[in-house]
Amino acid sequence: MREDYLLEVNNLRVSYGIVKAVQDISFNVLPGEIFGLLGPNGAGKTSTLSSVEGLLKFDSGSITIDGFNVIKEPFKARASMGVQLQSTSFQPELNVGQILYLFAGIYGVPLNTEKLKNILADINLEDSAHKKFGQLSGGQQQRVSLVIATIHNPRLVLLDEPTTGLDPQSRRQLWDRMEVIKQRGHSILLTTHSMEEAEAICDRIAIVDHGSIIEINTPQALIEKYRHDPEVIAVSRRNKITLEDVFIALTGRAIRA
Amino acid sequence: METLVPKTSTALATLLRADFQTLKTNRRSAILSLLVPVIILISWKGVIAKLGGAYALSSAITFGLIAIGLMGYSISIARDRDKGIFQRLRVAPIPTWTIMVSRICVQLFLIILLTIAVFLIGNFYDKVTLTPLAYVITFFIAFLGGAVYLGLGQLIVGTIKNPETVNATTRIVYFLFIMVGMFGEMGMLGDIVKKYIRYSPYGAVKIMLIGGMEPNHWTSNATTAVLVSIAYAIVFAGIGIKMFKWNTK
Repeated sequence: MREDYLLEVNNLRVSYGIVKAVQDISFNVLPGEIFGLLGPNGAGKTSTLSSVEGLLKFDSGSITIDGFNVIKEPFKARASMGVQLQSTSFQPELNVGQILYLFAGIYGVPLNTEKLKNILADINLEDSAHKKFGQLSGGQQQRVSLVIATIHNPRLVLLDEPTTGLDPQSRRQLWDRMEVIKQRGHSILLTTHSMEEAEAICDRIAIVDHGSIIEINTPQALIEKYRHDPEVIAVSRRNKITLEDVFIALTGRAIRA
Repeated sequence: METLVPKTSTALATLLRADFQTLKTNRRSAILSLLVPVIILISWKGVIAKLGGAYALSSAITFGLIAIGLMGYSISIARDRDKGIFQRLRVAPIPTWTIMVSRICVQLFLIILLTIAVFLIGNFYDKVTLTPLAYVITFFIAFLGGAVYLGLGQLIVGTIKNPETVNATTRIVYFLFIMVGMFGEMGMLGDIVKKYIRYSPYGAVKIMLIGGMEPNHWTSNATTAVLVSIAYAIVFAGIGIKMFKWNTK
C-alpha cells in the first residue's frame, strides 16, 4: 500500500446471492483530491461506497482508509471518514442543534453552545438550531448533512449523490464547500449522476459499469481520449464533446433499472 | 493528525441523551402506552374485591408491558430503520450494539414509569398495598416481563422489514394478547385455551407478577412462569437479533 493514498480499494468484490454487484474494482484517492464515482443505476457505485463505509460485507478484496483497514480496524477507519448518505435521515423529533450534539458526541468532538452557534453561522443557519431537520429546505438540509459529515474534521469525506434535487444556487454553494474541504488537504469521494458536476469539481473520475471500472482519469483527459471515437461523436449534440457524451458512449444508451 | 475514536461510554451517553430527547418530544405515544393500564386500574375498582388486588395490578402491568414492547419499541425501530437513521449512525466509529442498548434503556425507563404509575394508582385509588419486599420483587419481575415483550418486538422487526406491516402486526398481536389472554384465562374461550394460556407470554408474565406481589404465597406455578418467561425472552430476542437487518433494502 502506498502511504500517500488516503483511500485505497483493491480487488473489491461484492455479491448479493448469485448477483455479482462489484467485480474486482480497484482505485485510490489521493490527499486533497475530489474523486468521482460515476455509473448508471445498478452499476455498483453504491455497493462500492457502502463497502467503504463499512455498511456492507464484501466478498473479497481490501479497503484502507488513511492507513486503517476497514475490516481489521473498523473504528479507526470510520473515525477517519465523514459520510453523507444518499437519503440522510435524522430522528424527526430532534432539532438541528440536538442532531449536531448527537453526531459531535458519537465522533468524540466536544461541542458547546458557542461552538454550535459558530457552526450554524458558518452555514448561514444561525437561527435554525431549534428547527426540526424536516422543516429545512433541501439546500439547508444538505448543508447540515455536510457539516455533520465533517464535524470531526475527517481526512476523507464520502458523499453519495449530494446535489440531487438541489437548485443551481444550492448546488453551487455545496460545490464551494467541497472546494474548501479540498483546500484543507482533505479528500472527497463522491458519487453523482451529474456529468456537469463531475466535470466541474472532480479531479479524477472512475466510470463504473456492470460492477467494473471501465475508465479512470481526469474528466478532461477522458474527453480528449474519446474526442474522435465514432460512438462518442454519434451521441454528441451541437458538435461539442462533453463528459456526458463519453459516459453514454462507454456505458450505452439503454436505460437501466 | 491523530485519529480520534470516541470512548464507548461517551458514545452511549450521547445516544441515550438523543433517545431520551426523542422520547420527550414524542411523549404522547409513551403516555398512550400507559393509558390502558391506568384505565384498567380505574375501571376495575369494583372487581378488585372479587379478583384480588394482585390480579388487577398484574393485569395492568402486563398490558402496559405489551404496549411498550410491541407498540413502543418495534414500531419506532421499524420506522427509524426504514428512514435510514440506523445506517447514518452505523457509519460512525461506535459499536452497533450501543445503538440498540440506548433504545432498550429508553424502554426500561418506560417500564419503571409504568410500574410506579400502577403502584401509585393501585395504592391511592384502589387501596391495594403490597409489602416493601413485594414492591421490590415486582419491579424486577416487571423487567423480566418487559424482556419477554421487548424480545417479541425484536422478533417482529427481525422477521418483518416493512414498517407498515410491522405496525399492523404489532396491533394484531396486542389485540390478540388482550382478548385471548384476558378472556382465555377467565375460561370464556374453553378449558383448553384456559389451560394453555398460562404458558403463553401473556399468562407466564402475569403469573410471575402475581407471584411477586404475594411473595409469601409464591407457588411452583410462579417458578415455572419465571423459567418460561426467561425462555421466551431468550428465544424471541435470539431469533429477532439474528434475523434483524439494519436497512430495509
